[in-house]
Amino acid sequence: MMNSKDWSDKLLVTMINADRSGAAEIIERTLATGIEARQVIAEILDPAIVQLGRLWEEETMSLAQNFVASKIAEDTLLRCIPNMTAHPHSKGALVIGNIEDDFHSLGRKAVGLFLVAAGWDVHDLGNDVPAEELLEKALEVDACVIGVSAMMQTTALNIRKLRQLIDKRGLAHRIKLAVGGAVFNWRPDLVAEVGGDGTAHNAVGADELFMRLQAEVLRGKAL
Amino acid sequence: MSDRTIWLSCGVVSAEMEELQRRGLIEGELLFLDSMLHMDPQKLEAQLTATLEQIMVGCGCLVLVYGDCSARMLDLVRSYHAGRVAVINCAQLLVGRDRYRQLMGEKAFLVLPEWARRWEQIMKNELGLNRAVAHDLMGEHCGILVYLDTGLLPVPEQQLQEFSSYTGLPWRIEAVSLDTMLANLLAAQEDACSHRQHEEPA
Repeated sequence: MMNSKDWSDKLLVTMINADRSGAAEIIERTLATGIEARQVIAEILDPAIVQLGRLWEEETMSLAQNFVASKIAEDTLLRCIPNMTAHPHSKGALVIGNIEDDFHSLGRKAVGLFLVAAGWDVHDLGNDVPAEELLEKALEVDACVIGVSAMMQTTALNIRKLRQLIDKRGLAHRIKLAVGGAVFNWRPDLVAEVGGDGTAHNAVGADELFMRLQAEVLRGKAL
Repeated sequence: MSDRTIWLSCGVVSAEMEELQRRGLIEGELLFLDSMLHMDPQKLEAQLTATLEQIMVGCGCLVLVYGDCSARMLDLVRSYHAGRVAVINCAQLLVGRDRYRQLMGEKAFLVLPEWARRWEQIMKNELGLNRAVAHDLMGEHCGILVYLDTGLLPVPEQQLQEFSSYTGLPWRIEAVSLDTMLANLLAAQEDACSHRQHEEPA
């Protein structure tokens, strides 16, 4: 009988081989064996994504391969989320988007799905979002964290404008800035350079990051 | 030190670079790396670095004709005191930032002339996308294939038709002048040369 690790290894192989239907079949089989949807995400999908991230960082995967693999992850989440019992209470509102000039939506979408699955009320503004729009939306929905994604080095630097806006309006204690995207994994120093309050290595770690940043905001309010 | 400009460019725009040089609109030496290096970021960076090391000595102005194609592109620019076209990719180099944004809003998949001839190799061999997966993926993210026709090569209608059939997306042609690309190149050259002048000993 196959255990979660075996399934996860098989899923990883389908991701590397861009075998989308093969991946879907694996997920169907795992759910059919009675494994809970949450367990599929935590024990089968998450480890595969983490492994995938390692390959990406070692640069043994092309951007295009990663593109397909991310779609498989998204498929898996979409397949599993309807099987999950709804969270009784929302963890709170979040705003996410790709920063101005960035059009690489895959990572952001995956993060959004993981956050929805974790119980957040996610407002996804899409690609190429100006800093002003991200901040306005955060204020409108009372989000405590804005999650901004950028795939490459030059677009990541556009995040600095959002940092400046938050600071200029005196909102740093109320709204935290989470940054993510492939380039931050390659260049962790970039997080500080663009003024990020934190980052996660991959979509799997997004919930933990946003929880931590939310806690910082709440601690600030309590003082 | 020579004030000659070296343009280190992705091969995807080789025809356009050569045409601009032929018209006398850019001067200097053109060097091209294979556009297929984009499929392997590690190789791309290694080859860029090796080439930059080679051409550094005695080089006047150095301009990278690359978008944000590698995670360390800006580091390379800084390390080698080069200029770089201020674009995120080669399609934006041709159409400019505003038009690029409009095309992305249209969910266009932009096809450059050199790339069009290699679509099959890239989609099938490099990405391993069979017809069904290509259909799904492209259909989810894109609405149309837009061939950026710079007018230097005959439009590869048959290849575009085949690519369209493979992805399930319609296609159209957008004529692109080289003016936007030229403006980007000259701005990058000016930037590179001013860096050089600041570094020259008095």
